[in-house]
Amino acid sequence: MTCLSPSERRLQKELMSLIKDPPPGVSVDADQVEQNLFLWTIHMEGASGTLYEGERFQLQFKFSNKYPFDSPEVTFTGSNIPVHPHIYSNGHICLSILTDDWSPALSVQSVCLSIVSMLSSCKEKHRPPDNAFYVKTCNKNPKKTKWWYHDDSV
Amino acid sequence: MGDEGENVPANESNDSVVNQDELILAQQRQIEKEISESIPLVGELDSVTSLCKEYSTDDVYLEKIKDLASKYSHVRRTRPDGNCFFRAFSYAILEKLLCDKDSFNTFYKLAENSKNILVELGFQQFTVEDFYETYMEVLKRLSDIDNLDDAKKELHIIFNEQGYSDYMVVYLRLLTSAQLQKEKDFYSCFIEGHRTVVDFCHQEVEPMYKESDHIHIMAACSALNTGVRVLYMDRGVGSSVTQHDLPEGCSPSVHLLYRPGHYDILYP
Repeated sequence: MTCLSPSERRLQKELMSLIKDPPPGVSVDADQVEQNLFLWTIHMEGASGTLYEGERFQLQFKFSNKYPFDSPEVTFTGSNIPVHPHIYSNGHICLSILTDDWSPALSVQSVCLSIVSMLSSCKEKHRPPDNAFYVKTCNKNPKKTKWWYHDDSV
Repeated sequence: MGDEGENVPANESNDSVVNQDELILAQQRQIEKEISESIPLVGELDSVTSLCKEYSTDDVYLEKIKDLASKYSHVRRTRPDGNCFFRAFSYAILEKLLCDKDSFNTFYKLAENSKNILVELGFQQFTVEDFYETYMEVLKRLSDIDNLDDAKKELHIIFNEQGYSDYMVVYLRLLTSAQLQKEKDFYSCFIEGHRTVVDFCHQEVEPMYKESDHIHIMAACSALNTGVRVLYMDRGVGSSVTQHDLPEGCSPSVHLLYRPGHYDILYP
């Protein structure tokens, strides 16, 4: 067996845990991860009883070799990007734990749970007010945006 | 601001600042790079009077360094990366424990049991395990060395290896967070605004590079069952440095120098 780097070891552990014991409505595309441990696709279902019930979404996680010290780069991908006041139509998500408040004690699983709860607490589906401008001008990598986090209630 | 527009990237509504975010972040990276290339994570011992070089034209500081030098002979600088308190504190306490096998063993046992406490508090087992295992590995490696000088050298090497050093920092951050949460009724009085203790831990304690305040120090001391003396040196009035023992009335095992925004280790 080849020797794994600390980030590979950590990702491997997370993958096992996510396959064995996924949060409700969340599943990881294990075949794809096997090809590249640093790029994950996660399927997420809108929770029942919420505005997103019956919808299916796809999240992409990109990790650097400094993971878990560096946060993962997380975006919605695919044809269905949730319409939500903190999610831009290009899939970028405004969520503090993905940048400023990231901690190495968090994980793919805790990020997924935060996103599920962000979707579930939404009361009205609409895009962020500056969506058009942001999508036109932002960097491809959402971590290169300096986000302001004002509102934790949605 | 009302509901609309509360959640916006910082570059909103100004065409001329399209790439401002990237510029700011690039500059931040550049500053971080310069700091990491010029200042080791934990430095060698320097005389306290070596601090004068940093303040050659500042009479207030020069007076205070004189006062500091009457109480302490040496200083060990740490890298100013927001983790300095946690790194300095871990290093200093272990360095001290190396001289006292019994205390080291007590500390080792405390550390051994700490993982369960974290998991009971709701930290995810496998994220905690990662840091716990490295933390214990370091303690084990140090306790296996009989010769004191060799052990101190090993400590210095470990703390300057980013991989190990940052793991030590993370684990102490987690222990500190756990302590805050365990005694949240007490600590909630020290948190400004309407954040809960748990929110505070998620935002100010667990993430790397977030600077430490009194509350972090009190909780870290309590978690490791020890006390710290902090010497405050700033441009405030007077010619002497102010000292604070945390917790109050303790006999401190670690001495730290605080200058606005930064901690270094002091040696009597």
